[in-house]
Amino acid sequence: MKFQDYYETLGVPRSAAEAEIKAAYRKLARKYHPDVNKEAGAEEQFKQLGEAYAVLKDTEKRAAYDRFGANWKNGQEFTPPPNWNEGFEYSDGGFGGDNPGYGGGFEGDQSEFFESLFGRGRHRQGGRGGQQHQGMNFKGQDHHAKILIDIADAYNGAKRTIALHMPTRDASGHVSTQERKLDVSIPKGIKAGQNLRLSGQGGPGVGEGPAGDLYLEIDFHPNPIYRVDGKDVFIDIPLAPWEAALGTTVNVPTPAGSTLELKIPAGTVAGRKMRLKGKGIPSAEPGDLYVVPTIALPPATSDAQKEAYQHFEKAFDFNPRSHLKG
Amino acid sequence: MAQTNITWIEGSVVENEVHMTIVELSHASCTPQELIMSWVTEGVLSPTGASPEDWRFSGDSLRRAKTAAHLTHDLELNVPGVALALELLEEITQLRALLNRQI
Repeated sequence: MKFQDYYETLGVPRSAAEAEIKAAYRKLARKYHPDVNKEAGAEEQFKQLGEAYAVLKDTEKRAAYDRFGANWKNGQEFTPPPNWNEGFEYSDGGFGGDNPGYGGGFEGDQSEFFESLFGRGRHRQGGRGGQQHQGMNFKGQDHHAKILIDIADAYNGAKRTIALHMPTRDASGHVSTQERKLDVSIPKGIKAGQNLRLSGQGGPGVGEGPAGDLYLEIDFHPNPIYRVDGKDVFIDIPLAPWEAALGTTVNVPTPAGSTLELKIPAGTVAGRKMRLKGKGIPSAEPGDLYVVPTIALPPATSDAQKEAYQHFEKAFDFNPRSHLKG
Repeated sequence: MAQTNITWIEGSVVENEVHMTIVELSHASCTPQELIMSWVTEGVLSPTGASPEDWRFSGDSLRRAKTAAHLTHDLELNVPGVALALELLEEITQLRALLNRQI
């Protein structure tokens, strides 16, 4: 297990006062919040910040943590000594609880390091799902998960078996992460950012209450060929200079798997989009597929190729920088 | 050879097919109804219907409510702060999409 230097995570000295820790946390939390920061790794970073703050803002936990001394470094192999936290009492039994945020919401979010020191968080109550209500009936907790699909799945519809990792608690209170497989039909026309609601696939109901629902937030796998904006899809089509100047016909592959023949008119300019109406992501009003021409310049390596470029120069009275003065 | 029959679960696309009541939205976004009401007052969410019992939230309210709930909890933003942050985030998303179209 790796040691985690919570002071380093928040970028504060070990002597930092409570207010300084709070300010440092707030500043970094705003920067790395997964709803604000779309960079890869931001969510992970945000969770680490939450964990560091949960320890350092709590006088008892911070005092216990400080017992390890300042010699430990981030990432160093670490095993907590037996009875290391003897005499400390934590008012909230650890970390977490019932909240809808990213930071320390779900059991299983905390690092192994944190859990070995402060234990797992309280059982997430999940609205009313985990509590004992004798003779009462409640709908189970709604669950949320994010899944990645291919753009082609949105064009054609698909059937996918997805694996979700769910923290579960057994009768003795032991928490473990269990994989749950679901066979899901992905409807044609679904777009990135939309949610698919699977009724009754969330947490179990209380009493005779129905099970909660599972919401799957859809996103597309990154694609090297296509870019997607809502229901519109974009593809770059490289053209040789003579193709752009004289016109040609190119084959455009669509995400649906078919190929369309597209006439490139003479005098095509790089970046001037051509719209293939209705060839975007299908729906009642389907999106469009935009072909974005780019000009690919062949390198002149052989003598004959260099000569060809020199012929170009002679044939055109062309100054690409005529608009620049001086 | 054994044949396995897989039952594929059909879902509904929340943004297209679902209109939620305040009870459903509260449940799905793990947010107390009172907070959802204050978001409506601030213009973060715009349901149809005259009174909270009649309110119907369009599908994209779920995404907004989830983001609002995260910001409220994680950054301790108040209601006007959440409203401003959501507007700015929306603008950033639109600008990113515009950029993406032009690359």
